[in-house]
Amino acid sequence: MATIAPGVKTGPYHAVLDHIHPEPTSFIRKYIFSIDHKVIGIQYMITGGLFFLIAGMLAEVIRYTLLQPQGQMGISAATYNGVYSMHGSAMVWLVIIPLVTGAFGNFVMPLQIGARDVAFPWLNLLAFWMFPVAGVILFSSFLIGAPDAGWTEYPPISVQGPPGTTLWCIAIFLIGVSSTLTGINFIVTIYKMRAPGMTLTRMPLFVWAQFATAGLSFIATTALAAALLALFCERVFNVPFYDPSRGGSPVLWQHMFWFYSHPAVYIMILPAFGIVSEVLPTFSRKPIFGYKMIAFSTVAIALLGFSVWAHHMFTSGMVPWLQLPFMIITMLIAIPTGVKIFSWVATLWGGSIRWTTPMLFATGFLITFTLGGLTGFFLAAVPADYHEHGTYFVVAHFHYVLYGGSVMGLFAGFYYWWPKMTGRMYNEAMGQWHFWITFVAFNCTFMPMHWLGLMGMPRRVPIYDPAAWYVFWNQFASISSFVLAASMLLFAYNFWSSFRSGKIAGPNPWGARTLEWMISSPAPYYNFKKIPAVLATPYDFGNPLPYLGLEAAEGATEATPTHSSHPVPTY
Amino acid sequence: MSVSIAKQGYQLGHGHDDHDHEQVIYQETRDMRLLGFVLFLCSDVVLFSSFIFAYIYLRTTVAPIWPPMIDGHQLPRLDTAFAAVNSVVLFGSGVTMHYALENWKHGTRAMYNLFMGLTILLGAMFLGGQAYEYAHAQIGGWSGNTFGASFFTLTGMHGFHVFVGVVFLAVLWWQSSRGVYDHERYFGLTAGTLYWHFVDVIWVALFFLFYLW
Ligand code: HEM
Ligand SMILES: [Cu+2]
Repeated sequence: MATIAPGVKTGPYHAVLDHIHPEPTSFIRKYIFSIDHKVIGIQYMITGGLFFLIAGMLAEVIRYTLLQPQGQMGISAATYNGVYSMHGSAMVWLVIIPLVTGAFGNFVMPLQIGARDVAFPWLNLLAFWMFPVAGVILFSSFLIGAPDAGWTEYPPISVQGPPGTTLWCIAIFLIGVSSTLTGINFIVTIYKMRAPGMTLTRMPLFVWAQFATAGLSFIATTALAAALLALFCERVFNVPFYDPSRGGSPVLWQHMFWFYSHPAVYIMILPAFGIVSEVLPTFSRKPIFGYKMIAFSTVAIALLGFSVWAHHMFTSGMVPWLQLPFMIITMLIAIPTGVKIFSWVATLWGGSIRWTTPMLFATGFLITFTLGGLTGFFLAAVPADYHEHGTYFVVAHFHYVLYGGSVMGLFAGFYYWWPKMTGRMYNEAMGQWHFWITFVAFNCTFMPMHWLGLMGMPRRVPIYDPAAWYVFWNQFASISSFVLAASMLLFAYNFWSSFRSGKIAGPNPWGARTLEWMISSPAPYYNFKKIPAVLATPYDFGNPLPYLGLEAAEGATEATPTHSSHPVPTY
Repeated sequence: MSVSIAKQGYQLGHGHDDHDHEQVIYQETRDMRLLGFVLFLCSDVVLFSSFIFAYIYLRTTVAPIWPPMIDGHQLPRLDTAFAAVNSVVLFGSGVTMHYALENWKHGTRAMYNLFMGLTILLGAMFLGGQAYEYAHAQIGGWSGNTFGASFFTLTGMHGFHVFVGVVFLAVLWWQSSRGVYDHERYFGLTAGTLYWHFVDVIWVALFFLFYLW
């Protein structure tokens, strides 16, 4: 039992927290098979970034094909099927899910709760290494015939699909195991390893988001594992589960798949919510509005998320009397989501806002995510969905929530925590250019898909109506998507040059108040010299920092704003 | 500062000063592992539940009659009597497992060894019974129809869990003979017991769904 400040002792489990593993010295143990959560987090980022590059190039192949209504020479319909299936699968399972949980969850969450590592560092190592292996398996399916039934791989097409579909099953299964293990690890970490005094309602909101996400991962992902196992057996051993001609049911797959994949969309978005909830108060220099409402709505979304999966199946021949409840519960989710959006907007209200790059991305997130939520509402309305299902309207919807939501949130997080990861600042002007190009090009790429879809353009088809109107909007979207891709060069160059010669950031360049900013940058191996005690939520700008016994890095004890003036709260 | 601590109702330290530091670390690590292990079992429950859902779905919404018709004949039902005996074997092993752990806690080594050995034996017997049943089931094999698909997949998955359990228990037995655990620190045995009971409970559901329904 250590005394960490006059008269303040740590609780029993902080003896465990206080234990420091000896720092490894060999290159392999330090950077390749490290058990340090920060290294593992960065490994996830690098691997996920590489997969993002590949999956992004596949997206550009899709947009290139659609430049002309008759498709392109050299891209057969079969190739096209493989390309969009792999694009979707890779983006969901190899990019967004590992980045929002594995990368940011690992790097940031233990720092924010004042821990030295996650609960099971070796499990973390294992879970990480399943990820690149899964990626290699998934992409190698191109060599033997890529899966061609879309990222949702509906039977019976997927049962009869090319040999690569079997590899797809294996890869997604593996990444599912990895994400389950990470979920378990994070729950135990957050539940058991918070610094003394950090009660549940004093946790940073990003930690709340990771907590809810981890719950979703470890419950829902095994349902996907079951669906995949059955598909695998059906393809390899001819075991009838899904084939209707043998007493199976394709709709069964849809139930099992969406029982996972609807929660999975929250796995992809909740951590982005968490990132935004950190960035907005920091750059508004104002306490977050409605801390508890945001935290509880996160949990509410996660729980409700388990009971809406069949809104993906309104046109699949499910029993009609189930449609109404699924529609209503889906629409109910808009309530906790709206609570969050209003709380974020209220956080901005009257703050002294600094338009840094992470702040721009977080605000951009607010706009695009809200638009995506609105189209979700239209899709949830059964009669409207009959018209919209299977069209580009759905594609527009989920790119607004996934690119405009998850990926923009990820960008905000990258820029925000980059100084903590490397100890250096990125180039602010270049970052802001990156934001504006991304924001404009994103909207130009995906906005037209709304009306293309409403006019009936089906998704997943390489040819379309040659009327001038369709050609114009498709070319408009394609060219914008090329700009969107090009903006990534700016992003990559910015981080490359910052890594080599960026300005030294110091421990707390943003004047933020969560624990990770109280230690030097890059964070030392052991994170905290002493485990601090926590006295309040981290967001009360204007009050003294709520930490005790923090042996802070030079200059980090005060949250000194880089801009002047403290905000006058207006609520 | 101390004033504001009191205001916050903030309380650090739980008065465990008399405890041995190392003992505290052990307990906390154990509790974390236990929580992690229970969460793992929960996600395993979802795996079984998903297949059970698939079975119920195929049986109630797709198949016109159950057991399904193959080549104009209705498939026979499974042999409930045999499975009932086999179930008793498995549940019996749950009981012996319970006594194995209790005896470990009380330090009665000989009884522990007896019950642990019995548990492993009964587990292996259950697997043997299942192999016999697989060889004699007349439901058209794993890939013949949806009955066979659900039955062999679910019971096969369960059997695989029993198999892993038997190996797990054997390793624990070996470890305990090597002095890895003592009468106060036996997390591995707790985990093994939990796992074994978990496998039992899953079997209750499967027995009901395949033999009694
Ligand atoms: C207010 C919240 C939301 C509502 C009401 C909603 C509703 C829906 C509905 C009804 C569909 C099915 C459309 C169809 O196939 O006919 C759908 C599709 C989809 N949604 Fe959402 N959604 C919401 C938020 C989100 C979020 C936050 C994400 C992810 C971060 C997301 C990702 C997706 C994806 C990926 C699909 C398409 C799946 C596919 O068919 O390929 N949605 N949404
Ligand atoms: Cu959904």
